[in-house]
Amino acid sequence: MKNISIGQYYAADSPIHRLDARTKLILAILCIVCTFICKSTFAFVALMIFGVLLVLISRIPPKVIFRAMKPIVFIMLFTALINIFWTGGEILLFEWKFIKVYAEGLYNAAFMTVRIIVLIIGSSIFLTYTTTPIALTDGTERLLSPLKKIKVPVHEFAMMMSIALRFVPTLIDEADRIMSAQKARGTDFSSGGLIKRAKALIPIIIPLFVSAFRRADELATAMECRCYHGGEGRTKLHVTHLGFSDFFALILMIAFGAALVLINIYASKYGLGYVMP
Amino acid sequence: MNKAELKNVTFRYMPGTVYETLALNDVSVGFEDGKITGLIGHTGSGKSTLVGMLNGLIRPMSGEVLLDGENIWEKPKNIGSVRFRVGLVMQYPEYQLFEDTVEKDISFGPKNMGLSPDEISRRVKEAADIVGLSGKELAKSPFDLSGGQKRRAAIAGVMAMEPELLVLDEPAAGLDPVGRETVFSAIADYRNMRNSTVVIVSHSMEDMARWCDVLTVMADGGVLMTGSCEDVFSHAEELKKTGLDLPQITKLMLLLREKGVPVGENIYTVEAAYAALTEIFGKRASLKRI
Ligand SMILES: Nc1ncnc2c1ncn2[C@@H]1O[C@H](COP(=O)(O)OP(=O)(O)OP(=O)(O)O)[C@@H](O)[C@H]1O
Ligand SMILES: [Mg+2]
Repeated sequence: MKNISIGQYYAADSPIHRLDARTKLILAILCIVCTFICKSTFAFVALMIFGVLLVLISRIPPKVIFRAMKPIVFIMLFTALINIFWTGGEILLFEWKFIKVYAEGLYNAAFMTVRIIVLIIGSSIFLTYTTTPIALTDGTERLLSPLKKIKVPVHEFAMMMSIALRFVPTLIDEADRIMSAQKARGTDFSSGGLIKRAKALIPIIIPLFVSAFRRADELATAMECRCYHGGEGRTKLHVTHLGFSDFFALILMIAFGAALVLINIYASKYGLGYVMP
Repeated sequence: MNKAELKNVTFRYMPGTVYETLALNDVSVGFEDGKITGLIGHTGSGKSTLVGMLNGLIRPMSGEVLLDGENIWEKPKNIGSVRFRVGLVMQYPEYQLFEDTVEKDISFGPKNMGLSPDEISRRVKEAADIVGLSGKELAKSPFDLSGGQKRRAAIAGVMAMEPELLVLDEPAAGLDPVGRETVFSAIADYRNMRNSTVVIVSHSMEDMARWCDVLTVMADGGVLMTGSCEDVFSHAEELKKTGLDLPQITKLMLLLREKGVPVGENIYTVEAAYAALTEIFGKRASLKRI
């Protein structure tokens, strides 16, 4: 269970780590937009280069990133297969009974795979790997703070989010420990039918809930003891400011998006490479 | 004869990541049949990891874990039967309680063993007796017990499986002196009744000196020394280097010796110190004490 690495901060010192959390939130959104702008071969090549550069700049070992990809390999394969077999087109490469594979299908499959990979790399590097959960929720709160004017409880949502994030590893640890304790008393999680396995979870779930409620209760008391009373009039200990590098990064990202649009336009005008419909 | 034995066992947590920790480094150690062995060592020295090896909760990356001379990982499918022979009480075991009555919770282990209802109720009664839980407490919800009672209920839950080797990770952590006494004497009672082997992990030198026959000292993922209390505590300097210390009463006695009071060197319990002092100062001192 300890191997869940999505959503884990990776401590390192890189230009991306040093950016303001607000900038990184916007960059993540722009990055997602960019992956969907891409429509032509050259644009996807540019996107791949962008992904590689991102990993290099962030100083996160590729090993760590690959591990985060593992759980979604199945989804990637699935979309690739769907694209290969279900895309119609003009250039028929292969036919067997009712199965027809077109060159367009292969292109689409490759593009979708690149898209998913860069999507994951981009959002995880900007959000989880280089930003601590606390900085992230702080950034979200400040980014959304204009909504406070129309009575949206932004601070409360951000607080709930940071508490939830904070307790994910704790609860994983706890579940691990309870599971070991019940295994020591002879619970068998790995054999038997579906109903038997579901029943074997009861000795895990109940203590887990009990301890989660106890923790919630203790946390609430501790917060009240320190006079927490919601977001009103609350100031921050560390106030971050947007600097030159933040604006630079944003401009770079927007320029990249614009370049992708131009590449798409030229590619379809002059018929360079394959262009997605 | 060793009931259980580790042979050249190595274990790392989260191998291949930056968080990799070498928890056990080529450890070889035996636990003598019928004895109470105390496992001591500084925080993070690998005690809990070692203890998790004994009933197959953690699988060694290299090396062997032997139970009665047989490798428990010979047939990984049969690891379940090893867990019935080696009972492990984990650190803070009260968080494993889940049934609606204490009695049901204690019978959870025996039920998993597939025993008959008569046998189960006999074992539950005996285990509850050993740890000192009354019929009234057995009918309660485990969540309505006090901390010490919860601890004893959780220990009874493992004792009811009647393991040949009972392993307890810090069974008395966070309990008051009376609570500690109850827990340790329950463990000693269990050993005497079943003639089983016991391994206790603890930070308290006093408790270890009082209740254990053999001490094994761990430091930085390895075994530093094994021997009787006298053997181990005579290496005071080495113990101090690894962040451990002698029992308080022993230090007091050594200080008295330095000052010229002729007490013996090997005094590790308050009772022994009391006896030694009354012998020197006579009954007068003991009366004054009362
Ligand atoms: N689940 C885990 N994941 C990663 N590392 C771990 C895990 N459990 C223990 N470790 C590491 O392994 C080493 C040995 O830990 P272990 O729990 O065996 O120590 P211990 O002697 O029981 O300590 P304590 O007296 O504090 O209970 C420590 O350095 C610890 O940080
Ligand atoms: Mg421990």
